[in-house]
Amino acid sequence: MDHIADLADKDPLSRRYFMELSAKFSLGLSLSVPFLPRYMQAQDGAKAKNLIYIYLSGGMTHLDTFDPKRGDVMGGTEILDTKVDNMKFGMHLGELAKQADKLAVINSMSSTNGAHDQGQYIMRTGYEKRATIVHPTLGPWAEKLLGKRGEILPDSVVIGQSTSNAGFLEPSLSPLPIADPSGGVPNTTPIVEGDRFERRMEMAQKLGSEFVKKFKYSGPDSYVEYYNQANRLLKSDELSAFDISGESNAAEYGTGRLGQGCLLARRLVENGVRVIELVSGGWDMHVDVAGSTSTKLPELDKAVAALLNDLDQRGLLDSTLVAIGTEFGRTPDINMNGGRDHYPAAYSCVLAGGGIVGGTVFGSTDGGGKKVKSDPVKPEDFLATIGYAMGLNLEETIYSPTQRPFTFANKGKPVTKLFG
Amino acid sequence: MKYCDRFTLVGASLLAAFSLFAGSLEARTWTSTDGKTMEAAFLGIEGNNFRFRMDDGREVAVPRDRFIRADQDAAERLDGIGDDTGVKASAQKIDALLAQQLKKHGFTSFNEPLPDDLFVRRVYLDIIGRIPTREEFLRFAESARGDKREALIDELLQSPGFASHLFNYFADMYRLHASDFNNGIRMDPYIQWWRDQLSENRPYDELVVDMITAKGNVGQNPASGFLLRDTGMEFDAFANFGQIMLGIDISCAQCHDHPFDEWTQGDFYEMAAFFGNTQRSTGYRASSSMMGGGSIGMPNAPEGWKDDFMKWAENNKGIVPRDPQNSREFRYFVNALGWNVDDNEKMETILPHDFRGSGGKPNEVAKPGTLIGATAKTGGKTRREALADWLTDPENPRFAQVIANRMWSRAFGRALVEPVNDFSDDMAEKASQPEVLDFVSREMQRVDYDLKQFMRILYNTRAYQSIATAEEPDFADSYYFQGPVLRRMRAEQAWDSMMLLANGVEIDEKTGADGSFYKKILDVDFHSASHEDVWEHYEMWQSARGNRMGMAVIDDSSDDLTPVIVNDDQLRASELPQPATGASMLDTFGQSDRIITDAHNYDGSVPQVLALMNGTVTQQLTGVSSKVVSDLEELDGPDDKVRGVFFTLLNRFPSEEELSLGVGMIEDFGDDGISDLAWALMNSPEFLFIQ
Repeated sequence: MDHIADLADKDPLSRRYFMELSAKFSLGLSLSVPFLPRYMQAQDGAKAKNLIYIYLSGGMTHLDTFDPKRGDVMGGTEILDTKVDNMKFGMHLGELAKQADKLAVINSMSSTNGAHDQGQYIMRTGYEKRATIVHPTLGPWAEKLLGKRGEILPDSVVIGQSTSNAGFLEPSLSPLPIADPSGGVPNTTPIVEGDRFERRMEMAQKLGSEFVKKFKYSGPDSYVEYYNQANRLLKSDELSAFDISGESNAAEYGTGRLGQGCLLARRLVENGVRVIELVSGGWDMHVDVAGSTSTKLPELDKAVAALLNDLDQRGLLDSTLVAIGTEFGRTPDINMNGGRDHYPAAYSCVLAGGGIVGGTVFGSTDGGGKKVKSDPVKPEDFLATIGYAMGLNLEETIYSPTQRPFTFANKGKPVTKLFG
Repeated sequence: MKYCDRFTLVGASLLAAFSLFAGSLEARTWTSTDGKTMEAAFLGIEGNNFRFRMDDGREVAVPRDRFIRADQDAAERLDGIGDDTGVKASAQKIDALLAQQLKKHGFTSFNEPLPDDLFVRRVYLDIIGRIPTREEFLRFAESARGDKREALIDELLQSPGFASHLFNYFADMYRLHASDFNNGIRMDPYIQWWRDQLSENRPYDELVVDMITAKGNVGQNPASGFLLRDTGMEFDAFANFGQIMLGIDISCAQCHDHPFDEWTQGDFYEMAAFFGNTQRSTGYRASSSMMGGGSIGMPNAPEGWKDDFMKWAENNKGIVPRDPQNSREFRYFVNALGWNVDDNEKMETILPHDFRGSGGKPNEVAKPGTLIGATAKTGGKTRREALADWLTDPENPRFAQVIANRMWSRAFGRALVEPVNDFSDDMAEKASQPEVLDFVSREMQRVDYDLKQFMRILYNTRAYQSIATAEEPDFADSYYFQGPVLRRMRAEQAWDSMMLLANGVEIDEKTGADGSFYKKILDVDFHSASHEDVWEHYEMWQSARGNRMGMAVIDDSSDDLTPVIVNDDQLRASELPQPATGASMLDTFGQSDRIITDAHNYDGSVPQVLALMNGTVTQQLTGVSSKVVSDLEELDGPDDKVRGVFFTLLNRFPSEEELSLGVGMIEDFGDDGISDLAWALMNSPEFLFIQ
């Protein structure tokens, strides 16, 4: 298995850096605990080798999507039957309804975080937001626990975001941010080529070393690592993994960022990227929820349906977990602006592929979609379910550089019933 | 030209930092427009005269316009220095308080004084948000003035770059976003209002009062943008208010009692009730025709105006309300006119039906009450006026503490209380330097919230003028400010520095779209304007719909209502659309998306380094017909050229080793060696950091 230390030998420019870095971060001790409840152990023969986590930023309305109810709370949204008897969707999800047998819908999500930032943070890291530490997202966690998979391409990519980090883990585990899925990785044509390019890189490394040595901060160190990564990437043929311009079925996914992002995610999975987070905004519907859902939901519907179809046809669905997450649901009451406000008490998330038994509705809310009635699932549990599907050891303790202990999904309990 | 030797001797910067005001009394040569000169010490400006002390002790007044332009500017600058003797005393007091704490915690003193070259780069980046040019660097390096540091600080504080850079900070804090809203509704006039206030250096407390008490739409009163920003999210708006004005994160108390602090859920709603009768209208009406009568649309117009106008447009201008295609743009226009803030005495803050904390009961009306400090006086004032008075009252120290703490973190890279938006109840214990926090907050009040003057004090401290602390302080540990911490440039500093390298100092003066066109459209006096007048505004609206409207500028002095569209993107970050559009370099380097407060991101990434390696500015500087090579053509010999490249990009002297490396490059590869060296400096981590 490749480890960052092995890569150092392949790249002479980075040797010194890696020596320093591994000294700094040789804290990733693992604790093995002999007797664990079954749900805490890594799943034997976990099927999900890859993860596509579609994150709907702003708080997806649960009533108008995966947990529709009868009565006033629906505003103008009508209820749609799906391919599965007990699974009902809002009227804008017609394409997904046809693939309901691939989906596990969790309608009993609840969170204590009613603000976007905090809510999103826990749904993407498994931890409450704190002012004293930054927790890693799923990609860096998976790479830390499973080891690095690819040699050139990063193990994780985040689409729809222009910056990223690895939290308290090594900066080399940071997901590669792709702001615009259609744009791929910008600025990949070097200004000069061949020996002269090498000369420039070597010079930059020499001239920068004094500064990097002078300051013991994570910032300059991380830039050294990003230069190494960029240099490797530029020299490889694998850059084409980020280019969706040649994809023939682009239209099926939809031309918006969400659709194009799903398409890029599929392409990256094919090229060996392990974790792709796709962040899509526009779900904070405080005003005119009917109008907003009529544009956003068809976009989501089309993109995810195309993704599931495409993965299935390419034989990748079984090994790829597709997750849809969001920070909270939206109020059953429609406000004076025709919108719905934040509602962490009950919301919905979705899983498909990667060993998930499709056609499952897990957990429920009461008749008005106000309170979780059965099988509550917290954000940590949702992420633990993802980790379980990927075969991550949920009990493995990783220490931050400040010696604080952390585990993937912060001791959340995976919903093992969703697996065959 | 050899500048090296002359420069190195000024390491004795400690001396310089403490000799603040002596400098302005030094005699210098003054030149008149007809070429005459005199030796005199400058004393100050009096009306149209400059006052001087001559060598013989005589004091004279000379009309300003007798002097050449450069000397007039010099006098303005010197006047700024001599103006406030409080600066020196104040900076010394801060240093003394810090030094006490340093001693107490086992430090002998501050970090080493900052050498001159690092000083120049730091103050340019900190005060005007970009690196200096080679010429600016040399001007400082070659100056023999004893007070040249104070003079440079003053000069930079007077430059337009100061407001530009400060704007970026507030744009992040106040989440300035031009077009986050539906259907063509925009914020450009509000964003321009911020630019204008900062350019005029209006006291911060006055800005806050304007924003909290504003009424009208963003054309009629641009400050209303602050409250309109969160239309439809009134409690989120209040939570943001708490964070940025009071440094308290009370968002959790919306749903339950605060788990760590003393605030109850009831307290949250009492405080929120100050905005309880604040009506933000969107012109929308839920799930029925937006054209329908009786909408809550327009308290900024006489009753029924909107319906009358709609009918008039139907009868006279061919608007067909029931045809969405035909009427859509017109509806957007009318909604934008009616998107305004007002007070509505019929509105109240009602406790939620599932209220479960203490301090109230479900569905009760919440009466305004303050979370901390004295109670607000409401007599004869609107709730918002009472809140604004309470907030900025000298008896309420928190407001001054919050802004002083934030300005402190701009200078030092770390605040006295972290995080800046969550002081919480145990603030006094959390502050790593409670005495300093107390002192600088009172200073903030003493200078009447003049942020420029406040920053002048901080930049003149010995603590600030120290080298950056070499080891990253832990989040959780106290920090004693032996010097600033190492900081990565903000996205805007990186961008502005790149713009400078590509375009030169003219970027300081260049302005972009100012929201004037959109402001003009919305700025209607509905009591006096005829329907035909307002229709004219609609025609303006149509001439630059959608995003183009934000880029449209209009000359207010002329009758011609044709917009000029600003398409220039070679502008400083503060002059660009807010925030920068997706996947731009600003975005890549972590500019906030302005959704939540203080969201600027300092993390590195592969796309960032690719932008520095291969991006267009790097191409321009180091590619074929390299700008760096041509800029340095006037210099002779590889030594000076190598220094020139260092001055241009890192604004410092090369070490012996760096010099010989660079010289080797030039000897081996000629001009290619120069551009290779420039590329290498842009792509060493040092380029992005402020030490």
